Amino acid sequence: MAELELDGLTKVFVEDDGNEIVAVDDIDVTVADGEFLVLVGPSGCGKSTTLRMIAGLESITAGELRLGGRRINERKPAERNTAMVFQSYALYPHMTVKQNMSFGLEESTDMPAAEIAETVIEAAEMMGIGDLLDRKPGELSGGQQQRVALGRAIVRDPEVFLMDEPLSNLDAKLRSKMRTELQRLQDDLGVTTIYVTHDQTEAMTMGDRIAVLDDGMLQQVGTPLECYHEPANRFVADFIGEPSMNFFEVEVQGDRLLADDFAYPLSNETLSTVGDRTELTLGIRPEDIELRTEATGPHDFETVVDVVEPTGDENNLYLTFDPDASEPDTFIATTGGMNRIEAGQPLVAHVPEDAIHLFDPDTGRAVKNRSLDDAETLGRAV
Amino acid sequence: MDSVRSWLRRRIDSVRSEQRLRTDGGTASDAVQSETGTGLRRYLDSDAVESAPFWLPAFLLVGLFVYGAIVWNVVISLTDYEGLGDPEYGSFDLENYRLMLQETGSYSFTNAFVNTIVLLVAFTLVCLVFGLVVAILVDRDIRFENTFRTIYLLPMSLSFVVTAKMWLWMYSSNGGFVNRALGVVGIGPVNFIRNPDPNVQLAAIVFALVWQFSGYAMVVYLAGLRAIPDEHFEAARVDGASLVKMYWRVVIPQLRTATVSASVVLMVFGLKAFDFLRALYGNDTPAVGTDILPTYMVRVAFGDASRIAYGSAVAVVLFALAFSIVLPYLYSEYRRGAL
Repeated sequence: MAELELDGLTKVFVEDDGNEIVAVDDIDVTVADGEFLVLVGPSGCGKSTTLRMIAGLESITAGELRLGGRRINERKPAERNTAMVFQSYALYPHMTVKQNMSFGLEESTDMPAAEIAETVIEAAEMMGIGDLLDRKPGELSGGQQQRVALGRAIVRDPEVFLMDEPLSNLDAKLRSKMRTELQRLQDDLGVTTIYVTHDQTEAMTMGDRIAVLDDGMLQQVGTPLECYHEPANRFVADFIGEPSMNFFEVEVQGDRLLADDFAYPLSNETLSTVGDRTELTLGIRPEDIELRTEATGPHDFETVVDVVEPTGDENNLYLTFDPDASEPDTFIATTGGMNRIEAGQPLVAHVPEDAIHLFDPDTGRAVKNRSLDDAETLGRAV
Repeated sequence: MDSVRSWLRRRIDSVRSEQRLRTDGGTASDAVQSETGTGLRRYLDSDAVESAPFWLPAFLLVGLFVYGAIVWNVVISLTDYEGLGDPEYGSFDLENYRLMLQETGSYSFTNAFVNTIVLLVAFTLVCLVFGLVVAILVDRDIRFENTFRTIYLLPMSLSFVVTAKMWLWMYSSNGGFVNRALGVVGIGPVNFIRNPDPNVQLAAIVFALVWQFSGYAMVVYLAGLRAIPDEHFEAARVDGASLVKMYWRVVIPQLRTATVSASVVLMVFGLKAFDFLRALYGNDTPAVGTDILPTYMVRVAFGDASRIAYGSAVAVVLFALAFSIVLPYLYSEYRRGAL
């Protein structure tokens, strides 16, 4: 077991016509021994490339990759002591489950055949696929194939697990089941794990820490709650959380934020963090918007419900300020599923000041995050 | 009790009306009427009869000229027909087949049969191995990949006659390219085509055929390689397999289907190598010992002796050979559900 350090890791692809594409730009992350780090970001953000550089499947353009303090940039994939789980599982179709799981040990170690067989059976029992050892991958269900792929990684007894969207080929129910199972497995084995996903739910629920990437650049590394409540910038705020945070472009006028449809008064405390900025982006999470029947305070706004999306436990409400427009601008608020609310109904949205986020519209950086009483327990954002 | 009965009746009625409903709103009544029509009407309306103008002419022509001719050929092989007058269909016997097995020597059926098998096996094997190696090389993200692919495939588009004539020059002991190349290392000149050793001749023929057809094997293998996901190569690398081990244990076993289909096509080409030998040796009888079944068949049937019935018997053997190559392939495809 060891600590994995990504020190200024950079990957530049050179196209045939000499064009350079920076896929991964100067990433610094240290993954502690036994930690579960989730790399999350939209497609094309460089998360898979980062993982492949760690695995040794892509060369590293610049920066250093250290495992347990030793530089491993130049090592071959097999010599890095990592095991990878692929999105498509990459099980060899002509081999049985047993052969699939033994292959890595046969090729990369001098372990005698009897010991390999023992290790494989042990890992298979652990994954609950002991009775499938003589089947071929084509005869297995998606979930079983997934287990074989994990088992194949486990038998290698690696220092680092690398997982490239391993759950994305499963249906929703099985995915959430495997999510829990994977977490428990990682906890039991205590192996440093890097997990790539584009699914923010997986990132939030599975990771000890998550690293948010966009456009090849690291946006934030932190615990899931840190990234959720104290996003470093607008991108993280938008990406983490479902439904996404609402954003309004506002202008600072005196002690008020002026948007197209409303004016939001600020307290002196907030004003001091705004400084001399004249333009800001106001962000508010849908669940922080409180719904009322009457506007009583300065932070209450009269709106009309445009669309209701019931999800059972809660309702997603699309609220608008101008119900007469054919395609009105809306923002989302969530409310309990038991509240009966219908489209067209007027509602008052209360936007509490301690829940708002303010971002610099040019750089996207967070100017003010929501205040939390227990913010200290989240630890410091990187 | 009455209320129960009336409830049941209502229930049944509602089920019936549901059955009558057509959710797609289509009018099903026409079809129902024609189904209840006369037997002849139904027969004329069946798919097979209605589509007959499209498949029947081709079916009859193929049946007559391909399968009919095969059957006729089998019949002739049982007679003593010598090519003059009409064949005598009175007395059928297996005399021709018995003669085949009896003949010995370099102009015999046995010799031609063995040559055919050797040519078939050697040609197919070398083609597959060579094609696989080239396919693996081309698959490794080389530059000008498409150009190479075309260059390797090009010989296949030439006719047998063209390649035979070309290789005749290449093999010429009088300044041919092959002999010049061998001369550099101090060998030769070797007379390949008229060599007294039939094995040298066969080897030269196999080499030329491989030159022409290994491109085909390459294309089939390349398609097979492309069908293997990149992740398998990467997983093998992460698993620690060396390049050779990766191909040997992970990639090549997955090319089974490609190997089977390529070998069937190559073997069929090998059986048809008649034109190649004919063009190589001109009107002469192929030099001693290099007969394969097709050339042997033509010679006994249309040569000096004109033993048409005996030639037919050779043709039947050739047909059986081709059949024994294709049939297992078709059966395995059928088993896999590909037919």
